[in-house]
Amino acid sequence: MNLKKVTCRGLVVSMLALSFQTAGAGMIGADQAAPGTAQTDRAMVLETLARADTSSQLQAMGVDPRQARDRVAAMSDQEVTQLAADIRQAPAGADGGTVLAVLVIAAAIWYFAFRR
Amino acid sequence: MTGPQPCFEARLARACRLLLAAAIVVVASGCAQMVPQTVALRTGWPAGVPQSHQVDGVPFFPQDEYQCGPAALATVLAFTGVPVTPEPLVSQVYVPARRGSLQLEMLAAARRHGRVSYVLAPRYGDLLREVAAGNPVLVLQDVGALAQQWHYAVVNGFDYPSGTVYLRSGTVAKLEMPFTAFERSWMKSGYWAMVVTPPDRIPATATEDAWVNAVLGLARVGTQEQVTTAFATALERWPENLAAAVGLANQFHARGSLARATEVLREARRRHPGSAIVANNLAQVLSEQGQQREALTLIEQAASDPSNPFASEIRSTREAIVERIKRGGATPR
Repeated sequence: MNLKKVTCRGLVVSMLALSFQTAGAGMIGADQAAPGTAQTDRAMVLETLARADTSSQLQAMGVDPRQARDRVAAMSDQEVTQLAADIRQAPAGADGGTVLAVLVIAAAIWYFAFRR
Repeated sequence: MTGPQPCFEARLARACRLLLAAAIVVVASGCAQMVPQTVALRTGWPAGVPQSHQVDGVPFFPQDEYQCGPAALATVLAFTGVPVTPEPLVSQVYVPARRGSLQLEMLAAARRHGRVSYVLAPRYGDLLREVAAGNPVLVLQDVGALAQQWHYAVVNGFDYPSGTVYLRSGTVAKLEMPFTAFERSWMKSGYWAMVVTPPDRIPATATEDAWVNAVLGLARVGTQEQVTTAFATALERWPENLAAAVGLANQFHARGSLARATEVLREARRRHPGSAIVANNLAQVLSEQGQQREALTLIEQAASDPSNPFASEIRSTREAIVERIKRGGATPR
C-alpha cells in the first residue's frame, strides 16, 4: 500500500517533469501553434493529471509501471484525455475469443441435442 | 357473378406484385445499409486509384493468442524499415486486463519507433488509396461470430474485379475477404484505420491539420533528427502551416543551429505577421545571436497586444532581452 503510494507520487512528479519539455528556454512550443491546441495553464494542469490518471489506470490493468509511464508519454494531450475517459470501454483488439465462441456453440449443441 | 372474380384476381396479383416489389426494395436497401460504402464504390470508385493493387514486401508475423495488436503493428512498422518483431511491442501496447490492445496505444507505440502514425478518414476510398500508394493499412475489425470480437489486421492489397480484400490477419498470411464482408467487420469500429510512415513521407490521404497533429505526436518521443525531418517535410508540403514552421525552428534552435532557426522564423513572420509565437521565438533566437535591438523591437510589438494568450512567455522573453542588453553595456546592436 505504502509502496503503491510512493510509486504514484513518483509518477506524478515525473509526469510533471515530462509535460514541460515542449521547447527550449524562451521558445514557445509548436503544439501551441496548432489549431485548437493552444493551452491555458489550467488545461495544462488538467492534462498533466489526466496523464498520471491514465498511467495509473494502465498499471491497475496489469501494465508494468515504468512501461505505463512511457506509453502515456508517447501520446498527445488530447489522446491522453480521451484514453483516461474510456480506457475500460474502448475496443481492445485481441482475437482470443474464438475459444469462448466454440465453447458456447458446443454447449448449445449439447443442450439442444441431448437434453431434450 | 363472374364479373368481380377476375377483377379480384387481378387486384390480388397486382397487390402481390406490389408486395414483392416492396420486399425487394426493402431487402435491397437493407443490403445497402449493411455495406453502404461498398455499394457507394460501385458508382463512385475513387479517382486515380487502380482497381487492383498489392503492396509487395509486407512482412507477416503470425500472432500468438490475444496478440493481434503487436503482430499487426510489427507488420506495418517492419514494412517501413523498423527492425522490430511483435514480442517487444507486447509491453508497449498490450493491456493484460483487457486482453487486447487499445487504438490510441497503437498510435502512440508507432511513434516510439520513429514513425508518424496517422488515422485515416473513415472511408473505404481512403483505405484503397493508401494501399494503392504503397502504404499497408492497419485496421480494427469486429470479427466475432456471436459476441463482439475486436481484431487488428493489415490490409495489403485489393482486387475490385473479383471483389477481394487481401489481409495479413492473425495466423493467416494471405486472408482473402470479400469487399462486403470486410466492410461489415470494419464498419463496427467506425471504419478505424491507421498507417505509419517514416517522417519524410506523407500518406496519400493526409490532410494538413491532421498530419501536422500526427507530427506533433511524434515530436513528443522522436529523436531530434526524426522530428526535424517530419516538420521540414510538412512545411515543404504546406508552406503556410504555422505549427510546422514553429516546430522546425524549435528543432534547429535546440540543436544550436540558430541561423537556420532564424531563417525559418523570418519566413514564418512574413507569412504570419500577427503570430505572437513567431514574434516571441524570433526575438529569442535573435537575442541569443546578439541582435538585441531587433529582438527588443519585435518583443515590444508583441507585448503591446494585451489579449494574446502568451503574455507571460512574452514578458519573460522581454525581461531576458533587457537583461542581456544591460549586461552587454548600453550599446545594443
